[in-house]
Amino acid sequence: MINASEQISVATKTEKLDLVCVGAILGAYGVEGEVRIKSFCVEPSDIVKFSPLWEVDGQRQYVLSGLTPRKVGFTTRLGGIKTKEAADALKGVKLFAHRSEFAQLDDDEFYHADLIGMTVYDLDEKKLGYIKSIQNYGAGDLIEVATASKTKTHLVPFSRAVVPKVDVRLGHIVVDQRVSEGFEQKQ
Amino acid sequence: MSRSVWKGPFVDSYVLKKAEAARQSGRNDVIKIWSRRSTILPQFVGLTFGVYNGRKHIPVFVTEDMIGQKFGEYSPTRTYYGHAADKKAKRR
Repeated sequence: MINASEQISVATKTEKLDLVCVGAILGAYGVEGEVRIKSFCVEPSDIVKFSPLWEVDGQRQYVLSGLTPRKVGFTTRLGGIKTKEAADALKGVKLFAHRSEFAQLDDDEFYHADLIGMTVYDLDEKKLGYIKSIQNYGAGDLIEVATASKTKTHLVPFSRAVVPKVDVRLGHIVVDQRVSEGFEQKQ
Repeated sequence: MSRSVWKGPFVDSYVLKKAEAARQSGRNDVIKIWSRRSTILPQFVGLTFGVYNGRKHIPVFVTEDMIGQKFGEYSPTRTYYGHAADKKAKRR
């Protein structure tokens, strides 16, 4: 199904995806080096559980100490940031957590961060595209699949009937033939 | 003012016909519909509709708790991409 070169690219990608964006620094708060942060977590206050947080390149880490809810986001102190100027310089920095720090999930539950970017195959092992996003409009989770042309996307229900196989390790999912037929009609 | 009870819930007739045909065929294909105004009826439970949002058909798997609402409520017309962070998806 997946050739060796593709497996290598998936492995490299997975290593890169070890960091997941969980928040961003909005700017300074006050004059004593506190910062305002915005959390992207489902439960916003959970961002502190992933501390220390990292920059995108994984070079610099920030230890969060204390989290105070404000009108927009939270304020906190970051380890090593003691002045307003230093806090201002961090405006716009995105905060990342290691994927390994996320809680273990049940069999049929997956983190969006794991699914996004996965390759999509049909039952005949034909490549259909990759997962662009996961959406939920109130009637169950939907997988948005971008085709190779990247101009069109297709929404696929995330159910056992339509998506019989999800392999997080290899980074691919398999969708039922009926859906792939729909893909060909649309393209 | 709410809709009179004696009229019953509103459903476009072609939606009923398509749903009935899908149920009789036993196939679990996506039923493409354009009627966002139609009410979700008990006989639609278990079927998957593709509800048009002006651009494409959004798959809507009908469950019991959706009865009485409109199809359009499950097919938003605006796109929003948030951050994935620690969001979870459950395969049903």
